Amino acid sequence: MFKKMIAKSMSKSPWIYHMNTGSCNGCDIELVACLTPRFDAERFGFKLAGSPRHADIVVVSGPITSQSKDRLIRTLEQVPKPFCVVSLGSCPKSGNVFKGSYSVEAPLDKYVNVDVSVAGCACKPETIIEGLYKATLILQKKREAMEK
Amino acid sequence: MVQNMLMNLLHIFIFPGLLFVTVIGVLMTGIDRKLVARMQKRVGPPIVQGFYDFFKLMGKESIVPEAANKPAFLAAPIIGYVSLVVMVLFIPMFSFSVYSGTADMIVLIYLLTIPGVALIVGGTASGNPYAGVGASREMVAMIGYELPLILSVLAVCRKVGGSAMTFSLNEIVNWQAANGCALFQWALIPAALAFLLVIPGEVGTQPFDVAEAETEILEGPLIEYSGAPLAMFKLNTALKMFIMPAMFVALFLGGVHTGNVVLDVVLFILLTGLVSFITMTVPHAIAARFKVERLFKFYWTLVAALGLVSLVLVWFGL
Repeated sequence: MFKKMIAKSMSKSPWIYHMNTGSCNGCDIELVACLTPRFDAERFGFKLAGSPRHADIVVVSGPITSQSKDRLIRTLEQVPKPFCVVSLGSCPKSGNVFKGSYSVEAPLDKYVNVDVSVAGCACKPETIIEGLYKATLILQKKREAMEK
Repeated sequence: MVQNMLMNLLHIFIFPGLLFVTVIGVLMTGIDRKLVARMQKRVGPPIVQGFYDFFKLMGKESIVPEAANKPAFLAAPIIGYVSLVVMVLFIPMFSFSVYSGTADMIVLIYLLTIPGVALIVGGTASGNPYAGVGASREMVAMIGYELPLILSVLAVCRKVGGSAMTFSLNEIVNWQAANGCALFQWALIPAALAFLLVIPGEVGTQPFDVAEAETEILEGPLIEYSGAPLAMFKLNTALKMFIMPAMFVALFLGGVHTGNVVLDVVLFILLTGLVSFITMTVPHAIAARFKVERLFKFYWTLVAALGLVSLVLVWFGL
């Protein structure tokens, strides 16, 4: 019974840790906009966590600058399993307009398995909420796989 | 003999103890979040959100950092939880009371400090600098709210016991049954106000959440916790959310005897919910956070003065 409860709760209370790897702040404010009364992502149980230890979903925004690459990898290692990685906007997916720059190490999936990619520059709050919701379903599957 | 033991176990593990207080505390956090959301014109999470959070954290990996002192790090949340469960057994719910001695009020005041101390121990044991800052802030907050809390409790004890001073909560409740609620004794109104202001500080909710300020020091002492120990610390906060208002109701609004024990308990829980709404939900929705030194000043000037005024008035027999 408890296993079922735990698996169900996994998708009902996702805590988000937001990691900015050199983003222009566009996607970041859209993520914060999701928690405002207009979009109210808290109705799905979303909560911004301050520490990677509390995180269930790690949201990465920005084109991963050389300075932030090591810190990104180190932070992701500190997140307790099971967790999901969501890339926010076009930057972590492809590098966007920064592609080819000497200081940008763009695609995020070179370093970590990305579960959901939210597209857009900057992405809309509606798409962010949809992407995070899909991540919660993946989270539940990951937990069920952990049981086996 | 056997029946007595069974009753004791029932009290400790089911009704006012472990199971009941955990469920009601977690429910109260859910209701609190829902009401705050409604006050901000949001839909808000479901009322059972606290249970989802708890079970989710139970299903996560628990990491113990390398720099941490492992036994202290893992024992701290459990010690806090146990002391809170023990507290519930001493609080009489109107005519329903489990254990009652000659000095349960003193026991309660001592037990009340243990969750705070557990937070400090756990935070410092985790070896994280943010946790260190959080622990020192929690210490300041504890020194701040302990003084007015004790002053206002002393005022009630003196009023009820006369010059002999009683520290028995049961006696306080019985006195209120005979003479009306302590809240309506005008000499005790400042003490009641002081107690109401202490509640959010003790629980660590919005204007007084300096120790766990998630926007400044990233939940302070809890920063390194994950999985089951974090779930226990979240439970501690949830339990405090029930116990502090329950103490207020027992001390200042006691003495309602409907004659039916079940009805008494239900009424007690409703009153507790009302007090928790006034003291925690409304400030959560409307207030920002105090600075650490302002919090200390607030408690040791205004709130302590309210408690002291009450104590002096009662001492002169008013």
